[in-house]
Amino acid sequence: MTQTTTQATMSNASLPHASFPLQLYLITRRTLVTIFRTPAALIPPIAISVFFLVIYNSTLGKASSFIPDLGTNNYLGFILPLSIVSSSLSGAGVAAQNMVRDIETGYFDKLLLTPISRAALLMGPILAGALILGLQAHIVILVALLMGLKSATGIAGLYAAIGLAVLLGTGFAGFTISAALGSGSAAATQGASFIFFPLTFLAPTFVPLNLLSGWLEVAARINPITYVLEAMRAILNQGWDVATLGRALLACALLGTAMYALAVVALRVRTRRR
Amino acid sequence: MELQSRCQSNREIYVEALAKQYPGGVTAVDGVDFQVSAGQVFGFLGPNGAGKSTTIKILTTLALPSAGFATVGGYDVVEQAGDVRCISGVALQDIGLDPLLTSVELLTIQGRLFGMKSAVARKRADELLELVGLTDAIGRRVSTYSGGMRRKLDLALALVHQPEILFLDEPTTGLDPAARRDVWTEVRRLNQSLGMTIFLTTQYLEEADELADQIAIIDRGKIQIQGSPARLKASVGTESINVAFEDHVQAERALQAVGTSFPGSRLDRDTLRMYMNGAAQVIPQVLKQLQGASLNPISLTLTQPTLDDVFLKVTGQSLIENEREPQLQNEPA
Repeated sequence: MTQTTTQATMSNASLPHASFPLQLYLITRRTLVTIFRTPAALIPPIAISVFFLVIYNSTLGKASSFIPDLGTNNYLGFILPLSIVSSSLSGAGVAAQNMVRDIETGYFDKLLLTPISRAALLMGPILAGALILGLQAHIVILVALLMGLKSATGIAGLYAAIGLAVLLGTGFAGFTISAALGSGSAAATQGASFIFFPLTFLAPTFVPLNLLSGWLEVAARINPITYVLEAMRAILNQGWDVATLGRALLACALLGTAMYALAVVALRVRTRRR
Repeated sequence: MELQSRCQSNREIYVEALAKQYPGGVTAVDGVDFQVSAGQVFGFLGPNGAGKSTTIKILTTLALPSAGFATVGGYDVVEQAGDVRCISGVALQDIGLDPLLTSVELLTIQGRLFGMKSAVARKRADELLELVGLTDAIGRRVSTYSGGMRRKLDLALALVHQPEILFLDEPTTGLDPAARRDVWTEVRRLNQSLGMTIFLTTQYLEEADELADQIAIIDRGKIQIQGSPARLKASVGTESINVAFEDHVQAERALQAVGTSFPGSRLDRDTLRMYMNGAAQVIPQVLKQLQGASLNPISLTLTQPTLDDVFLKVTGQSLIENEREPQLQNEPA
């Protein structure tokens, strides 16, 4: 069949419409408002992250003398990054759940009938997701500070860790939003969010990378989470390590770009007029 | 209300040989032609699955036609989708509202996306809530709204950017009679006070009769007949003799008995409807022929044709069935 297709979001630039930054602001704010009006979706990710932090620290903390470079911190400084990363994973799912709801209620179609740019439709929820998981990372770090964490790089280092979590989470958000757009179903989106869960364990999760071997080491080396965990650990326990930080930023950038591209394709498919 | 159009249009709709075939070979719309003049209310009447929603989706740029040509406000629905959206407002059958937001939030977001400044969008939201009579529910989330209130808010959202042409896809399906009347009043007001052209689909005969200046009856993807309600009704004859029987079998035998002398006769379940002019004079003859076939009617009435009679005559089926079993709209969750 040689049917022509055009994009439903296509709009004529000369027609009255909001500027791109304003569109992005409106969609992001609106997504945040709806997320905060369903607080039940926000609490489990934070609770689980804090739970893991406490459990891992108390079960493995005493037997962790083999882990080098912990500085003034104990095992807490090693396991905290895992907790932050897992909270950004689940936090990223919140934005996608919001988008699925929009598709199900038909509000998404309503937005498509306005002169809104495709990029704002995608980046709004991703940005909202990033802000949410930044907030979650704050809470997890606050709990760790109460448990006795000392950052080797001070407040700046803590914020660097949060920044990394946000960047990593943005990539996850791109993926879960692609799943939301592709499936239009809450169950499928939920399922897609779980794909990243094993990834947190195909990494130097409980021991440093140099103690891994065989297939797990190979998997860990191509897993972007590995580099984020290593950078966070270096920042928290040792000090600024530009090379490690650079690798983490690069890993986040690659993941983020790839996932955003995927989301763009998913949105194109969803909004194609047939 | 200050109504300055944001985009220019001739407020007309023109549709020529429009067709839509879905993958798999289902033909939803099969070569439809019609024209809506500026300021008219056009009623697109037909049963479920007749092709009404597909037509409205093509005209509002949500779907592409497989063949044919259509302009809305003078703009091609395929090539000038952005302009079509700028001049038209759409309230689809599936109401697209975010239940977690309030009416003001939904309306201001919509207004600002259409390029209004914050204060202007807020003012517009207040005007529209006033217009559709939702000012009492102003700070409440949509999740607390009844089906009728949601319809009204959806209508308000369609009006935010001051469209000149309004598309309403079954605006009262699932509403109770009181809410339905409210929507009718609203549609009439928009048409009369703002001169808005309104394209409305419905499966309710009464609705088309009440609101529309022009009606097209669509069935199985094709327009069966079109014209003003008065003309359509006159086309079946000025009167209708309705003879009701015990069952369908008897009614069918009655049709055989009188069908040749009265070619305007149609079967509507257990009732034989005979359309003609000067019906009063022929009633004795009808009764005589029925008695001759030893058929005993339960009742005989003389009425003026309704749009359902028109529908029955052109499609061979009645639409009334749909009105007897309204689908119920979900109440607030």
